[in-house]
Amino acid sequence: MERINLHEPGNKGEEQRTGSEWCRENEASMKPVNHIMKQVLRSGAAVITAMVIGSVPFSFAQESVAVRAALVTGGLPLDDPNAAAWSSAAPASFPMSPQVHWPNRIQEVTVKDVSVRALHDGKQVAFLLEYSDPTQDPDDAAAFEFMVGDKKAHFAHGQPMLQVEGGPVNIWFWKNKAGKAVDMSAKGFGTLKPQAHQDVNAKGAYSNGTWKVVFSRNLSTEHPEEDVQITPGQFISIAFAVWDGRKDAAGELVEKGSQKSVSSWWYFRADAPPDYSSYMYAAVAVALALGFQFVLIRKLKKGQ
Amino acid sequence: MGALGKPIILMVAMYLFLKFVLPNIPGSAPLPSSLIFLYLLLTASGIVIYETLSGESKDAFWGPMQRFLTGEGSGGLQVLRYGVLILFPLLVGWETYGSTASSDLPPTEGRTIHPAPPGEYTGLSNPVPKTPDNIMQGKGFYAAFCSPCHGGNFDGKGPAARGFNPPPANFADPTTIAMLQESYLFWRIKKGGVGLPIEGAPWKSAMPRWEVELPDEWIWKIIMGEYDGAHQSPRTWE
Ligand code: HEC
Repeated sequence: MERINLHEPGNKGEEQRTGSEWCRENEASMKPVNHIMKQVLRSGAAVITAMVIGSVPFSFAQESVAVRAALVTGGLPLDDPNAAAWSSAAPASFPMSPQVHWPNRIQEVTVKDVSVRALHDGKQVAFLLEYSDPTQDPDDAAAFEFMVGDKKAHFAHGQPMLQVEGGPVNIWFWKNKAGKAVDMSAKGFGTLKPQAHQDVNAKGAYSNGTWKVVFSRNLSTEHPEEDVQITPGQFISIAFAVWDGRKDAAGELVEKGSQKSVSSWWYFRADAPPDYSSYMYAAVAVALALGFQFVLIRKLKKGQ
Repeated sequence: MGALGKPIILMVAMYLFLKFVLPNIPGSAPLPSSLIFLYLLLTASGIVIYETLSGESKDAFWGPMQRFLTGEGSGGLQVLRYGVLILFPLLVGWETYGSTASSDLPPTEGRTIHPAPPGEYTGLSNPVPKTPDNIMQGKGFYAAFCSPCHGGNFDGKGPAARGFNPPPANFADPTTIAMLQESYLFWRIKKGGVGLPIEGAPWKSAMPRWEVELPDEWIWKIIMGEYDGAHQSPRTWE
């Protein structure tokens, strides 16, 4: 204790020297080598710490912000909402709101959450949409929405933004009584229309108060201006909508058109095939660092 | 050629190797430019250290490092020395892996919550007199048009709020309308989410563009009702 106290004033004095004093003394006497050594070690430690911090992955992001399609071989369950293969795909769940963003609005909707899974085989993608709905109705319907191309699109049918030039959206629409999907495009309210080229399939199955609907399509199509193009490894914006086809006491549909359950934009990604190149890059880096050390130490030893 | 010749040739050779030879090794791919940069940096620092070692004046600087690295006379530091010699390449490798492995996380989109308003929406003052009647009316409009998202309690927790990301603003929170001028609110309410500039990520916002549905006078009354109901007051520049 006492020894430390005795030394303290001296240490402090040293640390209070200014940079220019240091240089002068350095040139003159070359004495404070220890201090430099400390500086070197300290900055080395800083660099190493920075590297460690920089490479710690930020893993606290919520899982449900993205639907992920795992890459599978040996066939996708394109037609079968109840296929066993779906249990191998991780579900992501998304909250839904009644559409109160533009007229005509609706203040209450049946579906408050959807769960989405996806699989792909490098050629095609299949999505399984699941949600609870107490009754099966002919007008039950659901849709996926995707941004198309590089321009951002507003989640409400790609409605025009005032300061940003937006792009179109691609909408895959399924209705129970139609028993199929309609591949559509929109760029703003009132512009939604079926495409000339129909590339999407859908099949629904209802049981125990739950709808399961499979949507499928080729990852890429020949119409990149209107269809979302799915490149494995890339995140794509995706949104959902659901209509419960129930009728009110007067026999009118409650949820129809813009009166539906909607989500915001979330992300979808088809997994890329495993890529081991970063292991190779890391190995090259390790070899270079080892070589660097080897050369350095050899040179140091020779120099003495 | 001179003293500079060799390092330059070495750097160029290294670059050519990384750029053209390495990608042709089976199972490899073109290197990202950040990686080439990292490798070149390593090579360059190696060269710098190698070259500077010769000068006598550098002995003082390198002496302790030298003793530490060569392990001569470092005594108890031997363990630390091996640690450093093993850890350094591993860290370089780890860092390289981290910077080249494709990320599994969705892109993070920073969103500026209060971007600058267009010029014509700065400094406007509320033309509606602040009477109890007008405030009442404003609160009524708020209840009809805004509360489904922003909540009857002005807390952003309306019955329709849950699916929206970003969530509807919480007006009771001191970081929303309490920080803003009435003029700014007028802009945000009139133009809605789609009126935001690119840094506000307009494509994600559910905030309606009320100018297509409500007259300006109603919007000014709503602003009054909103501040009163949320127990906040507009920011002013004294
Ligand atoms: C469909 C849901 C919805 C409705 C209805 C709605 N808002 Fe919003 N509002 C939002 C969302 C979401 C945000 C946050 C995103 C943004 O800033 O655009 C927001 C943001 C705002 C902001 C910006 C607050 C800030 O701190 O920047 C104001 C002001 C506002 N709303 C006022 C209103 C008023 C007044 C009404 C009624 C006339 C209203 N909103 C109706 C969804 C809604």
